[in-house]
Amino acid sequence: MVEIRFRSLVLDVALPVATITLGLPDRRNRIDAVMAMELREACAELASAEGVQLVVITGSGDAFSVGRETPPAESASGAARLEWISRMQVASAVASLPVPVVAVVNGDAIDHGLELAMAADLRIAADHAKFAITDISRGCLPWDGATQRLPRLVGPAWARDMLLTSRHVNSSEAGDIGLVNRVVEAARLQDETRTLSDSILGGGPIAARYAKEALMCGPELTLEQGLRLEADLNVVLQSTSDRVEGLQSFLERKTPNFTGS
Amino acid sequence: MSAFETLLFSKEDGVARVSLNRPHVLNAYNMQMRDDFSEVLSAVEEDPEIRCLLITGEGRAFCAGADLTEFGSAPSLVVARQVRWERDVWGQFLRLTKPIVIAVHGFCIGSGVEICLLGDLRIAAKGTVFALPETHLGMVPAAGGTQTLPRHARMGWAPDLLLTGRRFDSDEALKYRIITRTAPNDALEDIALRAACEIASLDSLTMASAKTALAAGADLPLADALKLEARLAAAGGNQ
Repeated sequence: MVEIRFRSLVLDVALPVATITLGLPDRRNRIDAVMAMELREACAELASAEGVQLVVITGSGDAFSVGRETPPAESASGAARLEWISRMQVASAVASLPVPVVAVVNGDAIDHGLELAMAADLRIAADHAKFAITDISRGCLPWDGATQRLPRLVGPAWARDMLLTSRHVNSSEAGDIGLVNRVVEAARLQDETRTLSDSILGGGPIAARYAKEALMCGPELTLEQGLRLEADLNVVLQSTSDRVEGLQSFLERKTPNFTGS
Repeated sequence: MSAFETLLFSKEDGVARVSLNRPHVLNAYNMQMRDDFSEVLSAVEEDPEIRCLLITGEGRAFCAGADLTEFGSAPSLVVARQVRWERDVWGQFLRLTKPIVIAVHGFCIGSGVEICLLGDLRIAAKGTVFALPETHLGMVPAAGGTQTLPRHARMGWAPDLLLTGRRFDSDEALKYRIITRTAPNDALEDIALRAACEIASLDSLTMASAKTALAAGADLPLADALKLEARLAAAGGNQ
């Protein structure tokens, strides 16, 4: 296992899983420019890391992340604000990881923190966690994906309800609307995360990447183009030994041993 | 009156009923079934007496997935890709101008879920077991599932179901919008048939226009989709 300590996060690599832990519990993991940069760096590292099949993102302390540090003075020019935004954005770096990403929402995920969690493919949450995007109640527009990823995750009706009212959603409602996939008692979060990770890792690593790619790209295409993408990914998969292994194991009723080749 | 090896086909009161009929292998979808479906869907499209298609499964399960014993039989990747589009049965499902009611029960796994997602009205017997296990077999869904699933279940649920390959029940399937109704097991056929008959009693041109508006509109910017809707409505008359 390799552990890399950044100033505001820790990256643990215990193949095939890499875990990013936000490490500013005293500030409830509020994102600042340093943390944002470190998150992007960690993702860039993991995007090309060999053997990583799953990325987990979680927070230390009692919150996942409750937002970000205060922006520059309002007097700042539009150009300066845009520059600051691009230095602070983290969600796209997480969303473009080629392997499945699980956000382990150990506590409140608010504003920028929720935008980060929404960039993952799956979310598992402690039952005390609260969720909200409150930017609009403060006269601002969110800018790390909330207006786009929230409706894609939960549908336009719930997205409007959450965004326009800025209200806090509890974990059970979040589970009902599809904002999180599992809600568990805080004490069981680690165990349940392992179970969830294992169930994803039971799949073929190439198949999992391709499934993610088809899911991520497909909804941005027309259905017909999406079906072509799916068909082509299937054809490419036919050249892998994992697919042979998967089929053979199924027919022989044994657990497949995928090698990622 | 069935002329197909893997499907039962019958027609009554404007409803064509197709039942997957390989019960000894839980209706596993194979190449013969693909060919049979392709023929049946062409026939249903062309037959003016048919105003609704009802799809069910014989025996203990709706469909336990693709028949994996036939997999890997293509001589090359080039041929495999060619074959996929020679008989585009999933495209035929999606292009069918007549509404499709799907009633699933027992096991609805892999291609079973994907067929379900290609239907317009989807009803499941309580207790039906669903799963999309493809990634755990080293592959990804091939009957449109990677595309239809996120469109119905949205990205909140689609990665969960596809990446874990986990089983889920009919109540969950309802929550994920893979189905829109559940029915007691012993009432499933009646309820599905009644729904199909009701749809068949409606004007088929209007039905076809509605399907076009929903399918084509989903791929268009809203403004263009609204123009399409108005054009289709005007062409239908009767307003």
